[in-house]
Amino acid sequence: MAETARRSGRFLPGDPRVAEPYRLTPQLALRVAVLGFLALALFAVLFLRLWALQILSGQRYLAQANDNRVRTLRLEAPRGPILDADGRVLVRNVPGTRVELWPSDLPKTWPAQRAELRKLAYVTGVPVKEIVADLAKHGDDPVTPVVVQRGIKRQQIYYLLEHQDAFPGVRLAESFLRQYPYQSLAAQVLGYVGQISPEDYKRLKKKGYEASDSIGQSGIERTYDAYLRGKDGKAQLTVDSRGRPKTTAATTQVPWTPGDALRLTINIKLQRAAERALTYGINLAHSNPLEGGYADGGAIVALDPNDGAVLAMASNPTYKPSVWVGRKDPQKLAPLLNPRVAEKDNHPALNRATQVGYPPGSTFKPVTALAAMQEHLLTPFTQLLCSPTYTAYGQPFNNWTPDIDQWIDLRAALAMSCDTFFYQLGDDFYRLPPNRGHPLQAWANRFGFGETTGLDIGGEIAGVMPTPEWRCKTFGGPPCKGYVDRIWKPGYSIQLAIGQGDLLVTPLQMARFYALVANGGKLVTPHLAADVEQPGAPHQPRRVLRRFGAQPPLSVGVDPTALRYVQLGLEEATHSPIGTSSGVFGNFPVDIAGKTGSAEKFVHVHGLTNPIKLNQSWWCGYGPFDAPKIVVCAVIENGGHGGSAAAPAALQVFEQYFGKQANVVQKASD
Amino acid sequence: MSIEAVDTRARGLRPRRVVEHAGAVASLRRLDWLLLAALVGVVAYGLWAIDGITMRDAGGSSLSRQALYAVAGALLFLGALAVDPDTYRRLWRPIYFGTLGIMLLVLVAGAATRGSKRWIDVGVFTFQPSEFGKVLFVLALAGLLAERRTSIGSLATPLKTIAFALFPILLVFVQPDFGSALVYMAALAAVLFVAGVRWSHLAALTVVAVVVALAVLWFLPAAGVNVLKPYQTQRLTGFTHPDNDPRGATYNVRQSIIAVGAGGLRGRGVTGATQTGLDYLPEHSTDFAFASLAEERGFTGASILLLLYLLIAWRALKIVAGARDLYSAIVAGGIAFMFMFQVFVNSAMAMGAAPITGIPLPFVSVGGSSLITNFLAIGILQAIHMRRVGRRRA
Repeated sequence: MAETARRSGRFLPGDPRVAEPYRLTPQLALRVAVLGFLALALFAVLFLRLWALQILSGQRYLAQANDNRVRTLRLEAPRGPILDADGRVLVRNVPGTRVELWPSDLPKTWPAQRAELRKLAYVTGVPVKEIVADLAKHGDDPVTPVVVQRGIKRQQIYYLLEHQDAFPGVRLAESFLRQYPYQSLAAQVLGYVGQISPEDYKRLKKKGYEASDSIGQSGIERTYDAYLRGKDGKAQLTVDSRGRPKTTAATTQVPWTPGDALRLTINIKLQRAAERALTYGINLAHSNPLEGGYADGGAIVALDPNDGAVLAMASNPTYKPSVWVGRKDPQKLAPLLNPRVAEKDNHPALNRATQVGYPPGSTFKPVTALAAMQEHLLTPFTQLLCSPTYTAYGQPFNNWTPDIDQWIDLRAALAMSCDTFFYQLGDDFYRLPPNRGHPLQAWANRFGFGETTGLDIGGEIAGVMPTPEWRCKTFGGPPCKGYVDRIWKPGYSIQLAIGQGDLLVTPLQMARFYALVANGGKLVTPHLAADVEQPGAPHQPRRVLRRFGAQPPLSVGVDPTALRYVQLGLEEATHSPIGTSSGVFGNFPVDIAGKTGSAEKFVHVHGLTNPIKLNQSWWCGYGPFDAPKIVVCAVIENGGHGGSAAAPAALQVFEQYFGKQANVVQKASD
Repeated sequence: MSIEAVDTRARGLRPRRVVEHAGAVASLRRLDWLLLAALVGVVAYGLWAIDGITMRDAGGSSLSRQALYAVAGALLFLGALAVDPDTYRRLWRPIYFGTLGIMLLVLVAGAATRGSKRWIDVGVFTFQPSEFGKVLFVLALAGLLAERRTSIGSLATPLKTIAFALFPILLVFVQPDFGSALVYMAALAAVLFVAGVRWSHLAALTVVAVVVALAVLWFLPAAGVNVLKPYQTQRLTGFTHPDNDPRGATYNVRQSIIAVGAGGLRGRGVTGATQTGLDYLPEHSTDFAFASLAEERGFTGASILLLLYLLIAWRALKIVAGARDLYSAIVAGGIAFMFMFQVFVNSAMAMGAAPITGIPLPFVSVGGSSLITNFLAIGILQAIHMRRVGRRRA
């Protein structure tokens, strides 16, 4: 074209009628060429980039796109049931619906988020403050949801499902709730399930626990969590960019495995009898206001003396573990969590059988007797004077009754629970040369006092076994000499011989000791779990997955003859006319042997500023005498004399166990 | 008549009136058929693509609406053929001030959407003056440059052109429509380049432009003066590190890259394209239409579109070379470069190779104003081509 234009210019002069010819100048041609190259370069860049993304890295981006839309959900496995020794269900699960919040899918701006949370709070009935606090606690982990509420009602489910678009980030998931068919039965033993604490999570992360998991928080639920919890499943859900599910059903990838069933050694009927017996004992104490007007709690432990299986473990006051299920009602939880309310309600969360130490009083006398015979301070036939008062070091030590003044042997001393008899033994222990150590405490230790029993649920305390060293340390030593309160005085040994002074034991420790007396000198390890089983219908044959065999009882090396005379003494205590609980057990068809205890303790009672001295009512014993099958230890706090509150309560447990009734003809004493 | 034509051809001269009075049929025969075919192809392909892209959106497919705009665009295209580009040259001042006026009107009376005022509601539909303004802007600046073609060598001419151009650019910028403002700047550069501004002047102006860009993006914010809004700066610079802050400023580009990459060779189809269908890719019918297309139709589908664009670019540059006069050449050059610029920035942005700016993908992105403007632009190219110098078939 340029050629044409140039040529025409040579041929003709400019014609005024025609327009100035426009020529494609070389300059413009160059620039068009530049533009052309630029175009080619740009398109080349586009093609190369497209090639790189789609062909070279296509697979990687495809995977990312799929990750984007697929949300992996955890399918909560149902927790295994807890059964009693006969397979009756103590704790089971009921299906429920839980509301979850996925923080990453919530509206990005705070006002929108707050508006949604307010709506959610209104629908679920959970205060906004709590949801916000839970969210804050959750941190910025994008793959675990925050559980807002478990076990919501049907109307709430329908509302949330219908208004899904108004609740981005809110999801409903299948869940299971703990249910307690026997309500408060064995509450402290069973424990409860709750959200995993940050500390537990840190500890258990490696074992596959997740931050949103529930975990057993106490008792059986905590110890055997690994068996009970089952294995969560996995499901995948396609969601859009706002986290809204595109399909109604999640596709299950891995189904959950339900938790295994745990069978306990506890028998529901006996447990219920024990709990009723506690209430009965407390009421009985109240009926005698001078002695037991302040009775307000207690514990009963029943053990199999041969292997340490716990047959019943009751603690009063108690509570219903269902208060821990679903969204918690702070008012119902206050007695368990708020120290002030707990104090008022006398600490219902405490398992008094293992977590409270009581002075044992006369129930400790068999320990002193055995220790004295082992140390050759006493023979079964030694006669000591049971006087109204034993005076030593210028100090009088009184018997519980001034009416007796005669020479007696060990059996009679145990039967009538003579304090002065044992004061003399305590004094003998005190007078032993220093190179003999502290044999009374040492023997008590061998019988399991001053240390935990090894029960398979946690929270157990060791109690207090006072020794001169303990005294010095506890009161600020060393140094010990020159400080009045750090010195071990003879009175302490004398008081210890009758289970008074600083000595504190748990009912379980005492039951374990009486099991030792019953089974011929072997120390058993108390345990609650019998085995782990495959959960199934009640009539299906049991499929045991793991048996928790009882630990073999340990012989403590106590002389059989000495033990035999203690056993006889205990049998006299429940049968001879001078026995302290003969009135309770004397005409029970099964031969029961046991000892009362009335331990003095200074107690702060409601309404009084100064503590007053109240008797802790004890009774420990076993039966049948010749072939012991059960040991029962009962404590009624501030219940007065052992024979008047604890012994009748313990009798009820025996009645249930042996299926036989007894007539209480006469009130016992001690 | 036919002799006259032969004569004209022989001399390379062209009696003015003859062409103007030439029959419509004869004129149509002078159309660039390849360009027309490319236009039909890209429009049809774009409609098919947008149908797939919007099929799973809340409002359903935008196909019918977009097709209606295409019909309107085709009519405008035919209208543009009938107008001699010389008319635009003579009327460049009214065009320029008219454009400015409408843009001011947008600022005063425009409908605000997501914080920006870009649309004017005229009852039946809303239209976006900044889109139409793209073509008008080129027509007006080309008029200015053509008028001063004798003094094109002096620095004053480009400076004056830039001064004129700055007003509409600023008006678009404050809407704010940063993407369109960039397109205007590209068009300005193109018209200066094609008009024949000296290389040295061009180089100097480029240096100034780079300095200004650096100042706006880095130096001034560092000094506490923000010309751009923070989100704009983030988008402009964010593409260089798309993995920073995946939920924030670079979320879009990350999702877009995933969408493109996931498309693979053959694409995931309409139903399989999760990035588009599940809304992970925002604005997939407008700004990120290319990513969505690439996800659904794969490398094959995206390449077909790019080849169609390349065809149009090639024909447009050819029209520049064959233009009858400087004015037509500048207009064609401006339109051609503007077109290329939009295609490049939009698709490169979808692939994470260019900053995120709200520039529609020509003939594909949903939006009447953009589609109709593109029809108008091609129409003007064809009109220039029809009136080109050279052989006219009898």
